[in-house]
Amino acid sequence: MQEKLIAFIRDELISDPDVEITADTPLISSGLMDSFALVTLQAFIEKELGVKVPAPRITVDSFNTIARMISIIGLHR
Amino acid sequence: MYTSLAFYLHLAVSVLIYWLIPWQTWRTAFLSLSSLVFLLRADANSFYLVLILTAVTWFFGYQIGQSVIKKTWHHIGVILLVLVLVIYKYLGWLDDILAPLLNLFSGFSGYHFDKLLIPLGLSYVTFKYISYLTDIYWGLIKHGRFIDFLCYGSLFTIYIAGPIERFERPQPQIDNKLVFESALLEAGFQRIVFGLFKKLVLADWLHYFISPIWQNLAENSFSMQVVGVLAFAFNIYFDFSGYSDIAIGSSRFFGLTIMENFDNPYFAVNISQFWRKWHISLSDWIRDYLFFPLSRMNEKMIWQLILVPLIAMGLCGLWHGASWSFVLWGLWHGAGLSLLQFWGRFKRRRKEIAHLSNQPWFNRFAAALTFSFVCIGWIWFIG
Repeated sequence: MQEKLIAFIRDELISDPDVEITADTPLISSGLMDSFALVTLQAFIEKELGVKVPAPRITVDSFNTIARMISIIGLHR
Repeated sequence: MYTSLAFYLHLAVSVLIYWLIPWQTWRTAFLSLSSLVFLLRADANSFYLVLILTAVTWFFGYQIGQSVIKKTWHHIGVILLVLVLVIYKYLGWLDDILAPLLNLFSGFSGYHFDKLLIPLGLSYVTFKYISYLTDIYWGLIKHGRFIDFLCYGSLFTIYIAGPIERFERPQPQIDNKLVFESALLEAGFQRIVFGLFKKLVLADWLHYFISPIWQNLAENSFSMQVVGVLAFAFNIYFDFSGYSDIAIGSSRFFGLTIMENFDNPYFAVNISQFWRKWHISLSDWIRDYLFFPLSRMNEKMIWQLILVPLIAMGLCGLWHGASWSFVLWGLWHGAGLSLLQFWGRFKRRRKEIAHLSNQPWFNRFAAALTFSFVCIGWIWFIG
């Protein structure tokens, strides 16, 4: 799941695709990804990972890193 | 209202009795009763409305939690709440458009909609209740006890001017036994004093000196217009964030931690960040219950990048008041959010621009640009 998320975020969402992304890289607070991207990310998670995460759980804080995303996705599996 | 002596007398008496009660459920019941008494004294319409809305919403919440036709119960409940808001707040305003249509289709003439007196806090309570029903529908929260829900809906410290709390935050607090600590009073007192300073000293002082410019903004010189708009930007910030401080501080007296509503919004480096720092409870609500669901309805670029920000922010503007000025203010912000998304896409294609925008000087420039953008938007508020 981590690889899929990293690949999608790097290829589609972040402003600088050259930046190396790890599980703990801050994405939104660092300005790499805008909070608008969370809508696209919600659709990706539902379509590709089969998990429906409700909007109030997709916050700037809870989706700031891949590790946090994975933990929230796990709660809604 | 939150600066009146009556509010502080009511608060002091309520806090004293509240902490003398040894059982949490009875405390919650007392706080609900105290809130209802406060509302009855402030605005009887609001009192009756909150009782009816609370009972109806709680019933719908119960049905969403239990029934197999959750979607139907949710949609009917939300439509009812929206209808109440529309009837009280917008029908009179839309009379010029709706009455001729009604007369045309009914065959009768003379139909028209009066402007109704809007019950206090209606916009806040309907949004809180829509979030309650939707959160149950989405499986985020469980249907609550009626007494907890009544306390959440009517809580007089946040009823009139927010924040628009979600049930899932105060509910566990009022459900568990709260322990009295003098630190609660200290923290609440400090926050209230801070809020009163912002409201009565900074906001009202600015209002006193600058209101002559606002009244005839177009007739002043350009430099005075700029001063007037800048002063308004700080007036509205001190006024509204001062109210939020008082609401948060007075809730603290009851052991309740209410969400923050402002976070230095004028330091935001883009308009999206501004809305994560300005009236946070409203912008979160718009994001979760309008922006996300609308965006997911259609994957076309024109819909997601242009129409959704315009619709969501246009409605956000309309929430502030039944006037085209507020709609235009919302559309201005929607256009800003839309442009920001295009800017993000542009940056992805031009790496040198992406690197440039990471420089510290660029962030300072972006903050100044965002502040200017927000200030231009305030012109519709003044109007």
